[in-house]
Amino acid sequence: MTASKCIQDVSFSECESSHVGKLHLQINCNSDCIYVLRSMVAVMTTRACMEARQSNRVSIAVDELFANISKHAYGGKAGRVELETFLEVDAHGEQELVFDFRDYASVGWQGSMEEAAERSIDVENLCPGGLGLKLICSAADHCEHEVLSDGNHWRLKFCINNKSL
Amino acid sequence: MMDANLKFTRHDQNETQVVLQVDGDVTIHTSPRMRDQLKPLFTATMKEIRVELNGVDFMDSSGIATLVEGLQWARLTGGRFILSGLSENVRDVFALAKLDTVFDIDSNVIEEKSA
Repeated sequence: MTASKCIQDVSFSECESSHVGKLHLQINCNSDCIYVLRSMVAVMTTRACMEARQSNRVSIAVDELFANISKHAYGGKAGRVELETFLEVDAHGEQELVFDFRDYASVGWQGSMEEAAERSIDVENLCPGGLGLKLICSAADHCEHEVLSDGNHWRLKFCINNKSL
Repeated sequence: MMDANLKFTRHDQNETQVVLQVDGDVTIHTSPRMRDQLKPLFTATMKEIRVELNGVDFMDSSGIATLVEGLQWARLTGGRFILSGLSENVRDVFALAKLDTVFDIDSNVIEEKSA
């Protein structure tokens, strides 16, 4: 069977349905295939028709959050991280791109996302992790964190067609 | 893995000026290598250390933190630390961190190349 025949065998409705579905990934936090995250971001920002700069901001926030979970929640050791991403329409009818992270670390992060967003960076005394959180909160339009009985849940939201850029 | 492709080229302009050309993605996996390349450049005799970033399309917080270290080393040794050739994406990351005004950023290299 030729490659073109294979493509023809895939119905249009099947292709179309993949454009509205969620992507779900379960990954070890010390995995060497972090580029899979970047691929998921590329797929979703393409679906959302985001411009290059906004797409880069999504990549930054997702990379930084994954790195923070790996480094601080799991302390650099192996640990399960689940990531789900999808497009949704909010209560005001605006489209947004959502990334949900779930970890199962015994360490529950007790910080405040709002404080991280507002904190100014002290170049003389740069603290580990502070810059990453600052970037996450600055790049995403909305950040949520919830301590669970068996880990943490993080949600990042990015407005689509963000006119503030 | 794409991160492994980060490359460095050192160009000594003279005894007091040096350029470190960086090409690739600067991430948590590659920034330690950038630190290793950068740190030896800060000596008492080196008056200008320029990091040429026009080959960098992606930089995360670890890359920025490494460059902040460079800024600190420059202040200790009395040299000038310049970043040049920042892509729009990298410049935006500096702006998100509110560090775009802290660094000595020179955009001339990009303009020269595109001219």
